[in-house]
Amino acid sequence: MSTLHVLSHSPFGNDRLSSCLRVIGANDALLLSGDAAYALQPGTAPFTTLQARSLKLFVLGEDAQARALEVPDWAKAIDYPAFVELSIHYDKVNSWL
Amino acid sequence: MKFAIALFSAAHAPSSRRALLFAQAALAGGHEIVRLFFYQDGVYNASGSVVTPQDEQDLPKQWRNFVSEHQLDGVVCIAAALRRGVLNEEEAQRYQREAVAVGAPWELSGLGQLHDAVQDADRLICFGGA
Amino acid sequence: MAKSLLIISRQAPWSGPNAREALDIVLAGGAFDLPIGLLFLDDGVFQLAAKQDAKALQQKDLSANLQALPMFGVEDLFVCGESAAARGLAPKGLSLEEAQVLAAQEITALIDRYDQVITL
Repeated sequence: MSTLHVLSHSPFGNDRLSSCLRVIGANDALLLSGDAAYALQPGTAPFTTLQARSLKLFVLGEDAQARALEVPDWAKAIDYPAFVELSIHYDKVNSWL
Repeated sequence: MKFAIALFSAAHAPSSRRALLFAQAALAGGHEIVRLFFYQDGVYNASGSVVTPQDEQDLPKQWRNFVSEHQLDGVVCIAAALRRGVLNEEEAQRYQREAVAVGAPWELSGLGQLHDAVQDADRLICFGGA
Repeated sequence: MAKSLLIISRQAPWSGPNAREALDIVLAGGAFDLPIGLLFLDDGVFQLAAKQDAKALQQKDLSANLQALPMFGVEDLFVCGESAAARGLAPKGLSLEEAQVLAAQEITALIDRYDQVITL
């Protein structure tokens, strides 16, 4: 089975991203939403970590846009209809509340 | 596809807005929402007592309209709601409180309704936190 | 067959009602005889620290409820070994003896095994 992990907290001063990366499986994907999108801030530790891991990585487009974050080519910006489709494509959704 | 959507954050949290947009996109995509379940601070989204500044998004109202329009099953966890003062008529009477914050289309019920929705749905999607 | 649900509890017991409300989901599932698992992760492992004193903060004792889990039919209890070690908790000193200590890869497999997940 596969899991779509969803983060919404900033990766700075918060251990959700690191815990998620510790347990994320080979068939899983990660969606950054809300302040979790700040993980795509270039030149930061979360950015470097994500770039080095060849994950299936998605970001809510509106959250990247609102935060003036450029989406790198190793991540994919999605809208809500695509979020719905992703949640169907993966067997379960694990939101790190 | 049948979705159960659970919301854990207050109406002013960005995750509550995301939950609504996800729910709208799910229905627009031809999917079914078997139940919306509001737990923890999510119960505030069902409150009719929230007054949002005019130039801001009124999420409790949008949820109310969304649930009414699509005749969805909107359940607010009763224990979480009591703890946070989001009472319906019946509970306000039971506990002799003056403020009634929640009414139709919302229903106050127990956590069994969350488990029931998980059993019924193909996917459980939770929104909360930040 | 009933769908299985894994609750991942990540909050310390003294940070508001979060830990208790996560536990309430588990207890409700147990009461309905549903296949429920509970994993303590990150600060959630502090719920299992021994000799906590709820009275000092005028709180209800969460550990008493945790001890009752097997009685409520919830026997699939897990704790993240790395989270416990990082927080100075020895696996043997944890207050919930039934909980299996898991490494990261085992947690990946655990999440994989359940039908749905709630991480609080």
